[in-house]
Amino acid sequence: MESVAQKIPLEHFIVLSGVLFSIGVFGVLSRRNAVLVLMSVELMLNAVSINLVAFAVYTAPSLFVGIIFAIFVITIAAAEVGLALAVVLRVFRNRGTANIDEINTLKW
Amino acid sequence: MNLNFDYTLFIPEFMLAGLAAIVVALDLFAPQVRKSWLSYVAAAGLAVTAVVSLSWVNKDSTFARIYAVDNYTTYFRVLFMGTAAVICLASARLVEDKLRHPGEYYGLIILSTVGAIGMAAARELMTAYLSLELLSFSLYILVSFAKFDSRSNEAGLKYLLLGAFSSAMFLYGLSLIYGVTGSTYYSGISAALSAGTHGFSFALLMALVLILAGLGFKVAAVPFHMWTPDAYEGAPIAITAYLSTTSKAAGFALLLRLFGGAFQVVHNDWSWIIAGLAAASMLLGNLVALQQHNIKRLMAYSSIGQIGYLLMGVAGLSHNTASALVLHLTGYMVTNLALFVVIIAWYNLTGKEEITDFRGMRERAPLLAGALAGALFSLAGLPLFAGFVTKFILFQAATEQGYYWLAGIGVVTSVISLYYYLMVMKEAFVTAPAEGETHRLRVPYVMQGLTVALMLGVFYVGLYPQQLFSAIDNATRFLFV
Repeated sequence: MESVAQKIPLEHFIVLSGVLFSIGVFGVLSRRNAVLVLMSVELMLNAVSINLVAFAVYTAPSLFVGIIFAIFVITIAAAEVGLALAVVLRVFRNRGTANIDEINTLKW
Repeated sequence: MNLNFDYTLFIPEFMLAGLAAIVVALDLFAPQVRKSWLSYVAAAGLAVTAVVSLSWVNKDSTFARIYAVDNYTTYFRVLFMGTAAVICLASARLVEDKLRHPGEYYGLIILSTVGAIGMAAARELMTAYLSLELLSFSLYILVSFAKFDSRSNEAGLKYLLLGAFSSAMFLYGLSLIYGVTGSTYYSGISAALSAGTHGFSFALLMALVLILAGLGFKVAAVPFHMWTPDAYEGAPIAITAYLSTTSKAAGFALLLRLFGGAFQVVHNDWSWIIAGLAAASMLLGNLVALQQHNIKRLMAYSSIGQIGYLLMGVAGLSHNTASALVLHLTGYMVTNLALFVVIIAWYNLTGKEEITDFRGMRERAPLLAGALAGALFSLAGLPLFAGFVTKFILFQAATEQGYYWLAGIGVVTSVISLYYYLMVMKEAFVTAPAEGETHRLRVPYVMQGLTVALMLGVFYVGLYPQQLFSAIDNATRFLFV
């Protein structure tokens, strides 16, 4: 742990997670397939995990709050994907498509 | 550090989790039991648990500094359990007629109540986030619960995708807060912020914006409201009622606890954002509601407008505005429940949910029509009813904090809202019923009882708010410690 913190400054991790988060946001806004939107949300959650672990290691190495938080985030992300894929599957069975532009019976 | 690991503080939550398991198991292993009994079991269990949770009144304690059980938590425990009980009772017929797997339906409502209570009680970011997701996940399933109805699937998918997106943003905000302050406890964050973190002020602003965006999605504030009308329209109608009450109230419970406990010291950095959200929500919600023809979509936009009034209280956050906010929230929940019980009863009898289908309600179901009128007047904020007093106190509290312009927008949009509420009432009272649809409808006793009880609640809040207000005032004291 010590050696990592000495060799690589914290900024590198923050930039990495910021870039990952932005790619995720871009994906959510631009992808039209529900499964790909979900994957983009996963990218955003991974950016959060990187942030949490990096902050935990650099700011309070003796407390594991950030690392435990990251484990919870991973668990919840897994549950979220399970739930979301079930709903996508239902929509696909009923409509024959998972394209969110074509899922438009409810509007205004 | 001496932490208090007193598991008895969780007894109401344990009871609810057990109740959820019992309801699911009853559905699975006792197929000969009539399914409508499940709703009575769930409602009775919720009522008993609410009474049990009253034994924590005036006992201020926390579990390991992460989960506070004080008057604020107790107040929201009772409020959420009461709401869930009403929803369970009101959906008995609906679930029997339209949905499968009633055990899971009631079980998920009870579990989401646990999540909502956790949001009110959390004094630490991870706990708050976990509770938020417990509530959200249950709601995602409930919204898409009508498995073979493609509108329900679609609503569920939209709600889920936007909800996941927003909770990811919320979470990124939390991680930045953790980085800036080095703590996930509200008290630790507050201490770190008041000690001054000037080097990090941009990160702090970004974190606040992301947290507000995430919570804005949960409570459906403009411009994060896009999912609301779709989720409301597609969801089974009782779940629409649940979305418009518990889900929003839990969002506000968390918002008050988080911003009061952790970010009150940097009040000036975020109050303008919330003031903007409040103004946009009031204006857009009430204006777009004018052109709706489906009652669920109308209620969606009306609730967005109401969220704007409530956010006004967060913008000028102080002990007074917090009390006024919780009072208005309570009045709004009771009124909305009364209105939705009427809509559910009418939907059960006629199978229709367009506003024009309310025609002839006065002749066909006078009790429902009367309650509909009362609830709508209360939402619009006419005297005698809950909406007037609570809105008055809320606007007054906002002006005391200097938000005259927000209160002005609130008054003007309240007048606008009266117009579309009256349009609904016109259909129910003035328009003659369609040919051959003039006979009296028999409203089930449960729905009659619920309607009367909730209308009494609306009048109670409207006419004798002192008692309730002092209880709330006693509860919101704990927000700013």
